[in-house]
Amino acid sequence: MPFDAMNDVPDDALLVLYANGDADAARALTMRLTPMVLGYAARLLNDAAEAEDVAQEAMLRLWKVAPDWRQGEAKVTTWLYRVVSNLCTDRLRKKRAVALEAVPEPEDDRPSASETMIKAERAAALQQALATLPERQRQAVVLRHIEGATNPEIAQILEISVEAVESLTARGKRALAAALAGRRAELGYQNDG
Amino acid sequence: MTDKHDEFGLNAYFDAGRKAAQIPSGDLMARVLADAKAQQMANVPAPAAQPGLFASLWAAIGGWPTAAGMVTATLVGIWIGISPPAPLEQITAEVLGDTDDAYLVDLLPAFGDDFVEG
Repeated sequence: MPFDAMNDVPDDALLVLYANGDADAARALTMRLTPMVLGYAARLLNDAAEAEDVAQEAMLRLWKVAPDWRQGEAKVTTWLYRVVSNLCTDRLRKKRAVALEAVPEPEDDRPSASETMIKAERAAALQQALATLPERQRQAVVLRHIEGATNPEIAQILEISVEAVESLTARGKRALAAALAGRRAELGYQNDG
Repeated sequence: MTDKHDEFGLNAYFDAGRKAAQIPSGDLMARVLADAKAQQMANVPAPAAQPGLFASLWAAIGGWPTAAGMVTATLVGIWIGISPPAPLEQITAEVLGDTDDAYLVDLLPAFGDDFVEG
């Protein structure tokens, strides 16, 4: 089967094919889900190498659970987000002793004329501000506003109520805004805010 | 997802953050795919081998449980033949009587008379 023939196959159907020994399904799932898993882990951990380890571990857990996966019961992405959230929480607890000052500051002396530069600096500032949030707030804000998950999905991922998700994202955004307040003018926020 | 009201003025940051996602390295993709293949081999059960002629015959007579019963019955039979228990000898004697006695049985006595009389 050509690789792109699997583009329209849903994740859970691919997982069933994978469990039945289909090599193309393994490749399609790897290509489709690894970037998503890695992106989420990187935002939670703020550490590229650790994020890669978590992504590999989360995908390994998916491969192991594949034979027991019940199609149509849960979304594969929801399950993966939950696994990554838990793996990152474990790692962050172990690293809690590390001071927040260890988070690298974005370089202030870069020229900010170019739009690309501004966006890169904003992304870096966001990442730095996210790192200051409590874990659950960070997870909720990233899932809602970066990963694009709905509140009911986030409730499933974090295993909390929808009301608790709304509360977490609201508090998280308020804290982010406070953390970013001093950098807005510097990062050209007024141009397109 | 962009906040429609952007109450906290964060949309520009979220937009920038979405575009700055960490891209998986070739090495990571290779590791994940290698895990996938290794786990796939472990997950898929090996196909059952076709049984040979002897195995089919063996299964047809009932396999090990039947063989064990047959062997036990054979050994018990041989043992009873070699060394019959006392109660069995008594029963044998009662049913068959004294095996030393000899009987003369005339199966066709009438024919004898016919021959004599001509």
